[in-house]
Amino acid sequence: MRRTLAAGLAAALLVAPRPAGAQPASAAAATRSNAAPATATRSAAPSDSSRVPLGLGVPSIPVSRVGGIDVVRANDLAWLLKAARSWNADVRKLVLNSGGHRLTFTDGNPFVIADDHTLLLAHPVFSLGGELQIPVELAQAMPDENAWPRLGYDARAGEMRAAPADGYVGSPRVITRAGDTELVIPTEHPELARVVGRGRARFRLRFRGAFAGVLPDSLPEDGLLRNLRIQTIPGGLSFELAVDPAAGGWRLELAPSHDAVTLTFDRAAGSLEPFAPEPPPGPRPMHTVVLDPGHGGVDTGVQSDGVLEKTLTLDLAKALADELRRRAGAHVLLTRTDDRDLSQLGRAEVANAPKPDLVVSLHFGMSLDPRAKGGAAWCAPASASATVLEAPGAGPAVGAGRTQVAGLLELLPWRDAATAHAVESRALAEDLGRALEHDGFGPMSVRERMPLPLMGVTAPGVLLECGTLSDVAERARILAPNGIHRLATAIADGLLAWQRGE
Amino acid sequence: MKMRRRGLIALGLVLVVLALVARQWMQHRNQPEPVPVAPDTTAASVRTATLWFASADGDSLVMELRDLPEQGELHARLSALVAALEQGPRGDGSRTLPQGTALLQDYLDETGLLTLDLSLPFRQSFQGGARVEELVVGSLVRTVSANVPEAKRIRIVCGGAAFSSLGGHFPLDRPLDPDDWP
Repeated sequence: MRRTLAAGLAAALLVAPRPAGAQPASAAAATRSNAAPATATRSAAPSDSSRVPLGLGVPSIPVSRVGGIDVVRANDLAWLLKAARSWNADVRKLVLNSGGHRLTFTDGNPFVIADDHTLLLAHPVFSLGGELQIPVELAQAMPDENAWPRLGYDARAGEMRAAPADGYVGSPRVITRAGDTELVIPTEHPELARVVGRGRARFRLRFRGAFAGVLPDSLPEDGLLRNLRIQTIPGGLSFELAVDPAAGGWRLELAPSHDAVTLTFDRAAGSLEPFAPEPPPGPRPMHTVVLDPGHGGVDTGVQSDGVLEKTLTLDLAKALADELRRRAGAHVLLTRTDDRDLSQLGRAEVANAPKPDLVVSLHFGMSLDPRAKGGAAWCAPASASATVLEAPGAGPAVGAGRTQVAGLLELLPWRDAATAHAVESRALAEDLGRALEHDGFGPMSVRERMPLPLMGVTAPGVLLECGTLSDVAERARILAPNGIHRLATAIADGLLAWQRGE
Repeated sequence: MKMRRRGLIALGLVLVVLALVARQWMQHRNQPEPVPVAPDTTAASVRTATLWFASADGDSLVMELRDLPEQGELHARLSALVAALEQGPRGDGSRTLPQGTALLQDYLDETGLLTLDLSLPFRQSFQGGARVEELVVGSLVRTVSANVPEAKRIRIVCGGAAFSSLGGHFPLDRPLDPDDWP
């Protein structure tokens, strides 16, 4: 069964160049059809794809042709409408309940009861293979009132679609004016737009609903937008932007017509929102490094055939410390040097005390699924909202987690302190992943989610899960006589690459 | 002579009828068993739920659609979802919730904050590193969010008590926003 459910599928639509002269496809956001009420009117099966436009994140079900009639399966229709279904075999009636509405189908009957409406289809509903088949003209016959689900039949695509509950997001327009760049995005629910990432390199604007538009062929060279793409997420989509380093701030506001949002980037910060702090270009300092061997004491971490994670992480931290002292001349501190339990507050306190240039929390993983292997690196997301206060008398920026931005003081909740270093942390996570894979470990992935061991840490940092102990080959590689040393060397390679700014 | 001829004709007819019956019987006997058709819509009221499980490589979540009995009450709906997650996927992938996890209580306040009180095996039987922990929480939050749209934020407690983290890798001391678990 083919069901297009973009929710859950991380499909990315990149800016795709079109041939010169080609016209954009459907460019506008969908608008509700003004079709006349369908009560007791016979409906044929015209294709009406404009009623529910094709788009990223629009759920759909397949249409099949049976005896010359285009139909959808009743179970598919129930899924499309998110409806509960009940069948009365005595009278051969199927009832779909969806969002307070009720659709009743009868085998062999062209009449469909929709709450208190009677819809007459051009063909009767019929049973095939133990399942009712519903003629597609139902899509156009559905009542267009009281928040009934909006359905559309697209003969060309061979599918029936349901309009997303949160509506559509249309084609973005990029407008450049002296000094600023505006991104105007039509949407049926502008109030649901939300900035979830505010770094210049990875600025993210999230919407609910589905995307039914096209991206611009190219971006203005004199503007502040360097890249624009779309990522679908469950229930919505996110515009992923790269903003020029010359941009000083951003602002998100409702368009005057209230059917769009406008995201403005300006060269002057003025009263705009600040971007997340970014690292200066070039080499990074790595004078002081804090290594956090995960778990400890009563908290053993994962156990695999008698091997305790807390022991492995301590061994690895000691080997990595030696490696960094030798190769980088770094001052390396461990949050624990023996088998003891540390509270989260205690870990953050120990980690912050030497004002480190970076913090790495070392861990190993295990899975009940024997097919799982590799590792991952977690870094703080650049999405935490900061409170920015005027601080006319503030001195120069002091310490991590407190960043002076053009005379402003940015305040973060204690637990989100690491988000001030999200960009450096992401670069660190990517460098570590590359180095581990290069040295034969992995596969590695990078995730942006605040890990508990980094809460309250005021420096760039990652939680690094170095490998999966439940994978036989990986476990053997780590537990081999030189396994920990090889792993420490690979991690040190990644840290040195980050230091060089590669 | 005439009588004998009639007798032979009658006998022939009887034989022909018998042959036809035998042929019909043999054909029926050689027919395959009826193939079960796709699940009919004839069961009691059911709803297709969206469930999230760990992928085969243990690196992401995969979706599975499953028919669950239609439940009117919120507690019954949530209990069925937690039970389905605890049973594990029917397709490829692997279970996320530790074995024995069940829903004890739930409470939805007027702001959309849903508190799920899970049984002790949720914490006590948890085994895994950071990736597994992220998948466990993600599958629960995504599944509840997908099927109970009135839940805007989700707080997870266990055995009636709040706790800071499942395995020491991610904080659970505050309500979780489903938008943060895409």
